[in-house]
Amino acid sequence: MEFKDYYATLGIERGASDEEVRKAYRKLARKYHPDVSKEADAQTRMRDINEANDVLRDKEKRTAYDALADGVARGGAGASGQGGGFQPPPGWDEGFEFHNRAGQGPADHAQFSDFFSSVFGKGAQRGAASGNYRARGEDHHAAIEISVEDAIHGVQRDIALRALETDAQGQPHFVNRTLTVKIPAGVHPGQFVRLTGHGMPGHGGEPAGDLYLEVRIAPHKLYRIEGNDLYMTLPVTPTEAALGAQVQVPNPSGGVVEVSIPPSARSGLKLRLKERGLPGKPPGHLYLLLDIALPPADTEAARKAYEQLAQAVPFNPRRHLGVEEGV
Amino acid sequence: MSNSYTRATVFVDADAICAISEDQPLVAQELAYACGVTLEWVAQLVEAGIVEVPAASGPPQAWCFGSGDLQSALEARRLERDFGVDLQAAALILDLQREVRRLKAALQVQSR
Repeated sequence: MEFKDYYATLGIERGASDEEVRKAYRKLARKYHPDVSKEADAQTRMRDINEANDVLRDKEKRTAYDALADGVARGGAGASGQGGGFQPPPGWDEGFEFHNRAGQGPADHAQFSDFFSSVFGKGAQRGAASGNYRARGEDHHAAIEISVEDAIHGVQRDIALRALETDAQGQPHFVNRTLTVKIPAGVHPGQFVRLTGHGMPGHGGEPAGDLYLEVRIAPHKLYRIEGNDLYMTLPVTPTEAALGAQVQVPNPSGGVVEVSIPPSARSGLKLRLKERGLPGKPPGHLYLLLDIALPPADTEAARKAYEQLAQAVPFNPRRHLGVEEGV
Repeated sequence: MSNSYTRATVFVDADAICAISEDQPLVAQELAYACGVTLEWVAQLVEAGIVEVPAASGPPQAWCFGSGDLQSALEARRLERDFGVDLQAAALILDLQREVRRLKAALQVQSR
Protein backbone atom coordinates (compact mmCIF):
# COMPACT_ATOMS: atom_id res chain seq x y z
CA MET A 1 0.00 0.00 0.00
CA GLU A 2 1.15 3.46 -0.86
CA PHE A 3 1.67 6.16 1.74
CA LYS A 4 -0.73 8.93 0.82
CA ASP A 5 0.61 12.45 0.54
CA TYR A 6 -2.39 14.49 1.63
CA TYR A 7 -0.57 17.76 1.03
CA ALA A 8 0.03 16.80 -2.59
CA THR A 9 -3.61 15.73 -2.93
CA LEU A 10 -4.72 19.23 -2.00
CA GLY A 11 -1.82 20.84 -3.87
CA ILE A 12 -0.46 22.64 -0.80
CA GLU A 13 2.81 22.86 1.11
CA ARG A 14 3.46 21.00 4.34
CA GLY A 15 3.38 24.24 6.30
CA ALA A 16 0.08 25.42 4.80
CA SER A 17 -2.17 27.37 7.15
CA ASP A 18 -5.69 26.23 8.05
CA GLU A 19 -7.05 28.87 5.70
CA GLU A 20 -4.91 27.56 2.84
CA VAL A 21 -6.12 24.02 3.52
CA ARG A 22 -9.71 25.23 3.49
CA LYS A 23 -9.32 27.21 0.28
CA ALA A 24 -7.55 24.38 -1.53
CA TYR A 25 -10.21 21.90 -0.45
CA ARG A 26 -13.12 24.07 -1.54
CA LYS A 27 -11.59 24.75 -4.93
CA LEU A 28 -10.92 21.08 -5.63
CA ALA A 29 -14.26 19.94 -4.20
CA ARG A 30 -16.03 22.15 -6.72
CA LYS A 31 -13.88 20.82 -9.55
CA TYR A 32 -14.36 17.16 -8.71
CA HIS A 33 -17.82 17.00 -7.16
CA PRO A 34 -19.31 13.94 -8.89
CA ASP A 35 -22.64 15.67 -9.50
CA VAL A 36 -21.12 18.41 -11.63
CA SER A 37 -17.64 17.31 -12.68
CA LYS A 38 -16.90 16.20 -16.22
CA GLU A 39 -13.67 14.53 -15.13
CA ALA A 40 -13.67 10.77 -15.67
CA ASP A 41 -12.14 10.02 -12.27
CA ALA A 42 -14.21 12.57 -10.36
CA GLN A 43 -15.53 10.10 -7.82
CA THR A 44 -12.09 8.80 -6.87
CA ARG A 45 -10.60 12.28 -6.79
CA MET A 46 -13.42 13.57 -4.62
CA ARG A 47 -12.89 10.71 -2.20
CA ASP A 48 -9.17 11.49 -1.99
CA ILE A 49 -9.81 15.20 -1.53
CA ASN A 50 -12.36 14.59 1.23
CA GLU A 51 -9.97 12.23 2.93
CA ALA A 52 -7.04 14.66 2.79
CA ASN A 53 -9.25 17.49 4.02
CA ASP A 54 -10.62 15.45 6.88
CA VAL A 55 -7.12 14.83 8.19
CA LEU A 56 -5.44 18.15 7.48
CA ARG A 57 -8.26 20.35 8.77
CA ASP A 58 -8.14 18.59 12.15
CA LYS A 59 -5.19 19.62 14.34
CA GLU A 60 -4.99 16.32 16.20
CA LYS A 61 -5.15 14.19 13.07
CA ARG A 62 -2.78 16.45 11.18
CA THR A 63 -0.16 16.21 13.92
CA ALA A 64 -0.45 12.41 13.95
CA TYR A 65 -0.26 12.31 10.17
CA ASP A 66 2.81 14.55 10.06
CA ALA A 67 4.56 12.34 12.61
CA LEU A 68 3.72 9.30 10.55
CA ALA A 69 4.96 10.99 7.36
CA ASP A 70 8.24 11.85 9.09
CA GLY A 71 8.59 8.23 10.16
CA VAL A 72 8.05 7.03 6.61
CA ALA A 73 10.52 9.59 5.27
CA ARG A 74 13.14 8.30 7.70
CA GLY A 75 12.31 4.71 6.80
CA GLY A 76 11.53 4.15 10.46
CA ALA A 77 8.30 3.79 12.36
CA GLY A 78 5.39 2.85 10.19
CA ALA A 79 7.59 2.26 7.16
CA SER A 80 8.42 -1.00 5.45
CA GLY A 81 11.94 -2.26 5.03
CA GLN A 82 11.78 -2.04 1.27
CA GLY A 83 11.35 1.13 -0.67
CA GLY A 84 10.00 3.20 2.19
CA GLY A 85 6.40 2.32 1.43
CA PHE A 86 3.86 2.34 4.23
CA GLN A 87 3.70 -1.02 5.94
CA PRO A 88 0.19 -2.09 6.72
CA PRO A 89 -0.61 -4.68 9.34
CA PRO A 90 -1.34 -8.26 8.26
CA GLY A 91 -4.82 -8.75 6.87
CA TRP A 92 -4.72 -5.21 5.67
CA ASP A 93 -7.23 -5.22 2.84
CA GLU A 94 -10.14 -6.66 4.74
CA GLY A 95 -12.12 -3.55 5.50
CA PHE A 96 -12.33 -0.40 7.43
CA GLU A 97 -13.56 1.31 10.50
CA PHE A 98 -14.39 4.92 10.94
CA HIS A 99 -14.22 7.28 13.78
CA ASN A 100 -16.85 9.77 14.70
CA ARG A 101 -16.03 12.50 17.13
CA ALA A 102 -18.60 14.87 18.45
CA GLY A 103 -18.86 17.98 16.31
CA GLN A 104 -16.72 16.60 13.54
CA GLY A 105 -19.05 15.30 10.84
CA PRO A 106 -18.31 11.66 10.46
CA ALA A 107 -19.96 9.41 8.02
CA ASP A 108 -18.36 10.55 4.82
CA HIS A 109 -15.50 8.46 6.13
CA ALA A 110 -17.36 5.51 4.74
CA GLN A 111 -15.83 6.33 1.37
CA PHE A 112 -12.27 6.88 2.47
CA SER A 113 -9.31 4.75 1.59
CA ASP A 114 -7.74 1.87 3.44
CA PHE A 115 -4.84 4.11 4.31
CA PHE A 116 -7.06 6.63 6.00
CA SER A 117 -9.10 4.09 7.87
CA SER A 118 -6.00 2.37 9.14
CA VAL A 119 -4.26 5.40 10.44
CA PHE A 120 -7.18 7.39 11.71
CA GLY A 121 -9.81 4.74 12.15
CA LYS A 122 -10.16 5.12 15.83
CA GLY A 123 -8.05 8.08 16.72
CA ALA A 124 -6.04 8.36 19.84
CA GLN A 125 -8.64 7.21 22.33
CA ARG A 126 -8.24 10.52 23.99
CA GLY A 127 -9.76 10.74 27.39
CA ALA A 128 -9.98 7.00 27.80
CA ALA A 129 -7.46 6.97 30.61
CA SER A 130 -8.44 10.21 32.27
CA GLY A 131 -10.00 9.80 35.67
CA ASN A 132 -13.60 10.94 35.93
CA TYR A 133 -14.32 11.37 32.24
CA ARG A 134 -17.73 9.94 31.39
CA ALA A 135 -19.24 9.82 27.95
CA ARG A 136 -21.28 7.57 25.75
CA GLY A 137 -19.11 5.92 23.11
CA GLU A 138 -19.09 7.60 19.73
CA ASP A 139 -20.94 6.18 16.75
CA HIS A 140 -19.06 4.69 13.83
CA HIS A 141 -19.94 4.62 10.17
CA ALA A 142 -19.04 2.22 7.40
CA ALA A 143 -20.58 1.12 4.14
CA ILE A 144 -21.50 -2.35 3.00
CA GLU A 145 -22.07 -3.35 -0.62
CA ILE A 146 -24.40 -6.26 -1.27
CA SER A 147 -26.06 -7.74 -4.34
CA VAL A 148 -29.65 -7.17 -5.45
CA GLU A 149 -30.45 -10.73 -4.46
CA ASP A 150 -28.91 -10.29 -1.00
CA ALA A 151 -30.90 -7.08 -0.48
CA ILE A 152 -34.09 -8.94 -1.23
CA HIS A 153 -33.39 -12.13 0.70
CA GLY A 154 -31.01 -10.95 3.43
CA VAL A 155 -27.47 -12.22 3.84
CA GLN A 156 -24.92 -13.01 6.50
CA ARG A 157 -21.65 -11.15 6.00
CA ASP A 158 -18.37 -10.86 7.79
CA ILE A 159 -17.34 -7.25 8.13
CA ALA A 160 -13.67 -6.72 8.93
CA LEU A 161 -12.97 -3.52 10.81
CA ARG A 162 -9.61 -2.11 11.69
CA ALA A 163 -8.64 0.63 14.06
CA LEU A 164 -5.61 2.23 15.61
CA GLU A 165 -5.88 2.16 19.38
CA THR A 166 -3.65 3.31 22.17
CA ASP A 167 -3.13 0.86 25.02
CA ALA A 168 -2.77 1.62 28.72
CA GLN A 169 0.95 2.28 28.24
CA GLY A 170 0.16 4.80 25.53
CA GLN A 171 1.47 2.55 22.76
CA PRO A 172 -0.50 2.65 19.50
CA HIS A 173 -1.39 -0.64 17.94
CA PHE A 174 -3.78 -1.98 15.38
CA VAL A 175 -6.92 -3.81 16.39
CA ASN A 176 -8.68 -5.90 13.81
CA ARG A 177 -12.11 -7.19 14.58
CA THR A 178 -14.52 -9.10 12.41
CA LEU A 179 -18.23 -8.69 12.89
CA THR A 180 -20.49 -11.43 11.60
CA VAL A 181 -23.70 -9.63 10.72
CA LYS A 182 -27.00 -10.82 9.34
CA ILE A 183 -28.17 -8.07 7.01
CA PRO A 184 -31.96 -8.24 7.19
CA ALA A 185 -34.04 -9.09 4.14
CA GLY A 186 -35.63 -6.13 2.40
CA VAL A 187 -32.95 -3.47 2.76
CA HIS A 188 -32.69 -0.88 0.03
CA PRO A 189 -29.89 1.37 -1.24
CA GLY A 190 -29.16 4.28 1.05
CA GLN A 191 -30.73 2.57 4.02
CA PHE A 192 -28.70 2.41 7.23
CA VAL A 193 -28.37 -0.72 9.31
CA ARG A 194 -27.57 0.02 12.92
CA LEU A 195 -25.52 -2.35 15.04
CA THR A 196 -26.27 -1.28 18.57
CA GLY A 197 -23.28 -1.13 20.88
CA HIS A 198 -20.69 -1.83 18.18
CA GLY A 199 -19.32 1.69 17.91
CA MET A 200 -16.69 3.17 20.22
CA PRO A 201 -16.58 1.95 23.80
CA GLY A 202 -18.11 4.28 26.37
CA HIS A 203 -16.04 6.02 29.04
CA GLY A 204 -16.63 5.90 32.76
CA GLY A 205 -19.30 3.23 32.62
CA GLU A 206 -21.33 4.86 29.86
CA PRO A 207 -22.66 2.64 27.03
CA ALA A 208 -20.79 2.01 23.78
CA GLY A 209 -21.77 3.86 20.63
CA ASP A 210 -23.42 2.26 17.62
CA LEU A 211 -22.05 1.23 14.25
CA TYR A 212 -24.03 2.36 11.20
CA LEU A 213 -23.66 0.46 7.95
CA GLU A 214 -24.87 2.28 4.86
CA VAL A 215 -26.29 -0.20 2.36
CA ARG A 216 -25.03 0.06 -1.19
CA ILE A 217 -26.17 -2.22 -3.98
CA ALA A 218 -23.52 -3.63 -6.29
CA PRO A 219 -23.94 -3.24 -10.06
CA HIS A 220 -25.91 -6.18 -11.49
CA LYS A 221 -25.47 -7.94 -14.81
CA LEU A 222 -29.19 -7.75 -15.62
CA TYR A 223 -30.62 -4.89 -13.63
CA ARG A 224 -29.85 -1.21 -13.50
CA ILE A 225 -30.78 0.26 -10.14
CA GLU A 226 -32.56 3.58 -9.66
CA GLY A 227 -33.50 4.06 -6.03
CA ASN A 228 -35.71 1.10 -5.25
CA ASP A 229 -36.61 0.53 -8.90
CA LEU A 230 -34.88 -1.97 -11.16
CA TYR A 231 -34.58 -1.56 -14.93
CA MET A 232 -33.95 -4.42 -17.30
CA THR A 233 -33.64 -4.47 -21.08
CA LEU A 234 -35.97 -7.10 -22.52
CA PRO A 235 -35.09 -8.25 -26.02
CA VAL A 236 -38.07 -9.32 -28.17
CA THR A 237 -38.34 -10.48 -31.76
CA PRO A 238 -40.08 -8.30 -34.39
CA THR A 239 -42.84 -10.91 -34.49
CA GLU A 240 -43.38 -10.75 -30.74
CA ALA A 241 -43.38 -6.95 -30.85
CA ALA A 242 -45.80 -6.81 -33.79
CA LEU A 243 -48.25 -9.48 -32.76
CA GLY A 244 -47.87 -9.43 -28.99
CA ALA A 245 -46.62 -12.36 -26.98
CA GLN A 246 -46.25 -13.92 -23.59
CA VAL A 247 -42.59 -14.10 -22.55
CA GLN A 248 -40.88 -15.19 -19.39
CA VAL A 249 -38.45 -12.97 -17.51
CA PRO A 250 -36.45 -13.60 -14.35
CA ASN A 251 -38.10 -12.36 -11.19
CA PRO A 252 -35.62 -10.46 -8.99
CA SER A 253 -36.91 -12.24 -5.90
CA GLY A 254 -36.51 -15.65 -7.58
CA GLY A 255 -38.16 -17.80 -10.23
CA VAL A 256 -39.65 -16.36 -13.38
CA VAL A 257 -42.60 -14.17 -14.12
CA GLU A 258 -44.72 -14.23 -17.30
CA VAL A 259 -45.11 -10.91 -19.05
CA SER A 260 -47.54 -9.91 -21.79
CA ILE A 261 -46.00 -7.97 -24.65
CA PRO A 262 -48.82 -5.90 -26.17
CA PRO A 263 -49.34 -6.03 -29.96
CA SER A 264 -47.67 -3.24 -31.97
CA ALA A 265 -45.10 -2.72 -29.21
CA ARG A 266 -42.32 -0.35 -30.19
CA SER A 267 -38.69 -0.49 -29.22
CA GLY A 268 -38.11 1.40 -25.98
CA LEU A 269 -41.60 0.68 -24.65
CA LYS A 270 -41.46 0.55 -20.86
CA LEU A 271 -43.44 -2.13 -19.06
CA ARG A 272 -43.85 -1.91 -15.31
CA LEU A 273 -44.05 -4.93 -13.06
CA LYS A 274 -45.50 -3.45 -9.94
CA GLU A 275 -43.59 -3.89 -6.69
CA ARG A 276 -41.16 -6.41 -8.15
CA GLY A 277 -38.18 -4.11 -7.62
CA LEU A 278 -36.22 -3.71 -4.42
CA PRO A 279 -38.13 -3.90 -1.16
CA GLY A 280 -38.95 -0.75 0.75
CA LYS A 281 -41.80 1.49 1.78
CA PRO A 282 -43.12 1.76 -0.85
CA PRO A 283 -41.45 -1.16 -2.67
CA GLY A 284 -39.74 -0.45 -5.97
CA HIS A 285 -40.95 -1.63 -9.36
CA LEU A 286 -39.28 -3.68 -12.05
CA TYR A 287 -39.26 -1.85 -15.38
CA LEU A 288 -38.73 -3.75 -18.62
CA LEU A 289 -37.44 -1.74 -21.55
CA LEU A 290 -38.31 -3.42 -24.83
CA ASP A 291 -35.52 -3.85 -27.33
CA ILE A 292 -36.54 -5.29 -30.69
CA ALA A 293 -33.82 -7.68 -31.83
CA LEU A 294 -33.71 -8.46 -35.57
CA PRO A 295 -33.18 -12.06 -36.63
CA PRO A 296 -29.93 -12.10 -38.66
CA ALA A 297 -30.39 -12.25 -42.42
CA ASP A 298 -27.47 -14.60 -42.83
CA THR A 299 -29.13 -17.48 -44.68
CA GLU A 300 -30.95 -17.70 -47.98
CA ALA A 301 -34.15 -18.62 -46.17
CA ALA A 302 -33.90 -15.64 -43.85
CA ARG A 303 -33.25 -13.21 -46.68
CA LYS A 304 -36.23 -14.64 -48.59
CA ALA A 305 -38.45 -14.27 -45.54
CA TYR A 306 -37.47 -10.59 -45.17
CA GLU A 307 -38.20 -10.01 -48.87
CA GLN A 308 -41.57 -11.71 -48.59
CA LEU A 309 -42.41 -9.55 -45.58
CA ALA A 310 -41.47 -6.40 -47.48
CA GLN A 311 -43.71 -7.41 -50.39
CA ALA A 312 -46.60 -8.44 -48.19
CA VAL A 313 -46.43 -5.41 -45.93
CA PRO A 314 -45.42 -2.26 -47.83
CA PHE A 315 -43.98 -0.07 -45.09
CA ASN A 316 -42.03 3.15 -45.20
CA PRO A 317 -40.78 4.16 -41.74
CA ARG A 318 -39.38 7.41 -43.25
CA ARG A 319 -42.66 8.69 -44.60
CA HIS A 320 -42.68 11.58 -42.10
CA LEU A 321 -39.40 12.85 -43.55
CA GLY A 322 -41.30 14.00 -46.65
CA VAL A 323 -38.96 12.32 -49.12
CA GLU A 324 -40.51 10.28 -51.91
CA GLU A 325 -38.44 7.17 -52.39
CA GLY A 326 -38.29 4.83 -55.41
CA VAL A 327 -39.96 7.34 -57.73
CA MET B 1 4.43 3.25 16.18
CA SER B 2 4.20 -0.39 17.02
CA ASN B 3 3.10 -2.77 14.32
CA SER B 4 1.55 -5.05 16.90
CA TYR B 5 -2.07 -5.88 16.39
CA THR B 6 -4.82 -7.91 17.92
CA ARG B 7 -7.78 -9.67 16.39
CA ALA B 8 -11.27 -10.41 17.56
CA THR B 9 -14.28 -11.97 15.92
CA VAL B 10 -17.72 -11.03 17.15
CA PHE B 11 -21.03 -12.51 16.11
CA VAL B 12 -23.49 -9.64 16.19
CA ASP B 13 -26.62 -10.68 18.00
CA ALA B 14 -29.78 -10.39 15.88
CA ASP B 15 -31.35 -8.18 18.57
CA ALA B 16 -28.57 -5.63 18.05
CA ILE B 17 -29.22 -5.33 14.29
CA CYS B 18 -31.84 -2.94 13.04
CA ALA B 19 -32.45 -1.52 9.57
CA ILE B 20 -33.49 2.10 10.06
CA SER B 21 -36.96 2.50 8.57
CA GLU B 22 -40.39 3.98 9.24
CA ASP B 23 -41.09 1.10 11.57
CA GLN B 24 -37.75 1.41 13.33
CA PRO B 25 -36.78 5.08 13.13
CA LEU B 26 -34.10 7.05 14.93
CA VAL B 27 -35.17 9.41 17.67
CA ALA B 28 -33.69 12.90 17.62
CA GLN B 29 -30.97 12.11 20.16
CA GLU B 30 -29.90 9.06 18.13
CA LEU B 31 -29.70 11.17 14.97
CA ALA B 32 -27.58 13.67 16.89
CA TYR B 33 -25.23 10.93 18.12
CA ALA B 34 -24.95 9.44 14.63
CA CYS B 35 -23.95 12.82 13.18
CA GLY B 36 -21.71 13.78 16.09
CA VAL B 37 -23.83 16.86 16.79
CA THR B 38 -26.12 18.26 19.47
CA LEU B 39 -29.88 18.01 19.75
CA GLU B 40 -30.06 21.75 19.13
CA TRP B 41 -28.37 21.25 15.77
CA VAL B 42 -30.99 18.64 14.86
CA ALA B 43 -33.68 21.19 15.73
CA GLN B 44 -31.97 23.64 13.36
CA LEU B 45 -32.08 20.99 10.63
CA VAL B 46 -35.81 20.65 11.14
CA GLU B 47 -36.23 24.41 11.03
CA ALA B 48 -34.28 24.57 7.76
CA GLY B 49 -36.44 21.78 6.33
CA ILE B 50 -33.46 19.50 5.69
CA VAL B 51 -35.20 16.77 7.66
CA GLU B 52 -38.91 16.75 8.19
CA VAL B 53 -41.07 15.89 11.12
CA PRO B 54 -44.86 16.01 11.14
CA ALA B 55 -46.04 19.30 12.61
CA ALA B 56 -47.90 17.52 15.38
CA SER B 57 -44.91 15.50 16.51
CA GLY B 58 -44.43 17.49 19.65
CA PRO B 59 -41.09 18.29 21.27
CA PRO B 60 -37.74 17.24 19.73
CA GLN B 61 -37.58 14.27 22.08
CA ALA B 62 -40.57 12.82 20.22
CA TRP B 63 -39.24 13.30 16.68
CA CYS B 64 -38.50 10.28 14.48
CA PHE B 65 -36.16 10.03 11.52
CA GLY B 66 -35.50 7.53 8.74
CA SER B 67 -32.43 6.57 6.74
CA GLY B 68 -33.01 9.37 4.23
CA ASP B 69 -33.01 11.90 7.06
CA LEU B 70 -29.73 10.52 8.40
CA GLN B 71 -28.20 10.77 4.93
CA SER B 72 -29.40 14.37 4.54
CA ALA B 73 -28.21 15.31 8.02
CA LEU B 74 -24.74 13.91 7.35
CA GLU B 75 -24.49 15.74 4.03
CA ALA B 76 -25.67 19.00 5.61
CA ARG B 77 -23.06 18.55 8.33
CA ARG B 78 -20.30 18.26 5.74
CA LEU B 79 -21.52 21.29 3.80
CA GLU B 80 -21.67 23.35 6.95
CA ARG B 81 -18.31 22.18 8.22
CA ASP B 82 -16.29 22.19 5.00
CA PHE B 83 -17.88 25.04 3.08
CA GLY B 84 -19.07 27.21 5.92
CA VAL B 85 -22.59 27.44 4.48
CA ASP B 86 -25.52 28.06 6.77
CA LEU B 87 -28.25 25.46 6.96
CA GLN B 88 -30.68 27.38 4.74
CA ALA B 89 -28.11 27.38 1.96
CA ALA B 90 -27.31 23.73 2.69
CA ALA B 91 -31.01 22.91 2.28
CA LEU B 92 -31.03 24.55 -1.14
CA ILE B 93 -27.81 22.78 -2.19
CA LEU B 94 -29.21 19.42 -1.10
CA ASP B 95 -32.46 20.07 -3.02
CA LEU B 96 -30.49 20.96 -6.15
CA GLN B 97 -28.23 17.96 -5.70
CA ARG B 98 -31.24 15.65 -5.46
CA GLU B 99 -32.78 17.22 -8.55
CA VAL B 100 -29.54 16.84 -10.53
CA ARG B 101 -29.36 13.18 -9.56
CA ARG B 102 -33.01 12.62 -10.44
CA LEU B 103 -32.62 14.26 -13.85
CA LYS B 104 -29.41 12.36 -14.58
CA ALA B 105 -31.16 9.11 -13.73
CA ALA B 106 -34.10 10.04 -15.98
CA LEU B 107 -31.69 10.93 -18.79
CA GLN B 108 -29.99 7.59 -18.43
CA VAL B 109 -33.31 5.81 -18.81
CA GLN B 110 -34.25 7.96 -21.82
CA SER B 111 -30.96 7.42 -23.59
CA ARG B 112 -31.17 3.64 -23.53
